[in-house]
Amino acid sequence: MSLQAWLANQWLTSHRSSRDEVRALLAVADRDLHDATVHEVSVDARHHFAYNAALQLAHAALAASGYRAARDGHHVRTINSLRFTVGLDAQSVRRLDTARKRRNHAEYDAAGLISEAEVEEVLGLARALRQRVEEWLRAEHPGLW
Amino acid sequence: MGTIEAALFSKTRAAVLGLLFGRSDERFHLRAIVRAAGAGMGSVQRELKTLDAAGLVDRIAEGRQVYYRANARSPVFGELRALVAKTVGMGSVIRTALEPLAERIRVAFIYGSGARGELTAGSDVDVLVIGSVAFGDVAEALHDTQERLGREVNPSVFTPAEWVHRVRGGDHLASALMRGERLFVIGDEHELAGVVGESVVDEPSQQS
Repeated sequence: MSLQAWLANQWLTSHRSSRDEVRALLAVADRDLHDATVHEVSVDARHHFAYNAALQLAHAALAASGYRAARDGHHVRTINSLRFTVGLDAQSVRRLDTARKRRNHAEYDAAGLISEAEVEEVLGLARALRQRVEEWLRAEHPGLW
Repeated sequence: MGTIEAALFSKTRAAVLGLLFGRSDERFHLRAIVRAAGAGMGSVQRELKTLDAAGLVDRIAEGRQVYYRANARSPVFGELRALVAKTVGMGSVIRTALEPLAERIRVAFIYGSGARGELTAGSDVDVLVIGSVAFGDVAEALHDTQERLGREVNPSVFTPAEWVHRVRGGDHLASALMRGERLFVIGDEHELAGVVGESVVDEPSQQS
């Protein structure tokens, strides 16, 4: 599979990104990375912010690559596209995808208890991704950085 | 909607099949099967006799000890094992997946519809793990069970201290879970009570 194959499946649409767009997405990610550390709010809220930071970073990398996720399955495609955009390892992608499912559980189900340690793990993944996306943009898409 | 397992198996047969086909690469002493089934010796022996006569299980006599195991040469072995995994053998499948992490897990149990034996087609399997293990490691370990069970497996992982803090702090979900049905895969009620009790002693009372 590749992003071209995803495009053929209509999982993605073509997209022309800009430096402003990439900067705006990274700014949202930075804001969420910060909000995920605010201990006055609930653990579920912090998990939401940590996951959303990762989602925005994945979105930025996908946009820089010339794509957007189609409306159906937007989150799952965006997170899983990290393998093809910044070349994120399979285990990290799987863990971020688990965070996506956990967020759905926490928001829509009675179950889905999230612990402090789980939030810290997602936050660690999101912080590492922040650095990786920046390095990748500088190297591969200097015009968008 | 009724449960699949209740429609197909009696309670004792479900328990016996769940153990033998849920852990089909192991053999079990008669007494271990009786204990796991939570039924009388007589009714478990009758089930085993029926299953043995049909060639579904093997009876292995070693000296005075008698063991049973799933018969992998039965023409329906694969189908029965898959059926059991998706219904009554769920606990075994989850337990086997968590085994490599067991040293870092005090207690792990299935809760919600899976523990009540009320899983329907769309139900997830909810698992609570209490220990010093990382969430990512548990999620990773349980990842492949989802395909085997044909369901999403949704773990939550807490340290003993955080779990007690949640329960004592009146957290709605944690309290509801402590009142509900539990299907233990690692540890038991006694161990869970120990986790909660110890940490209560460690933490000063919040009440004034």
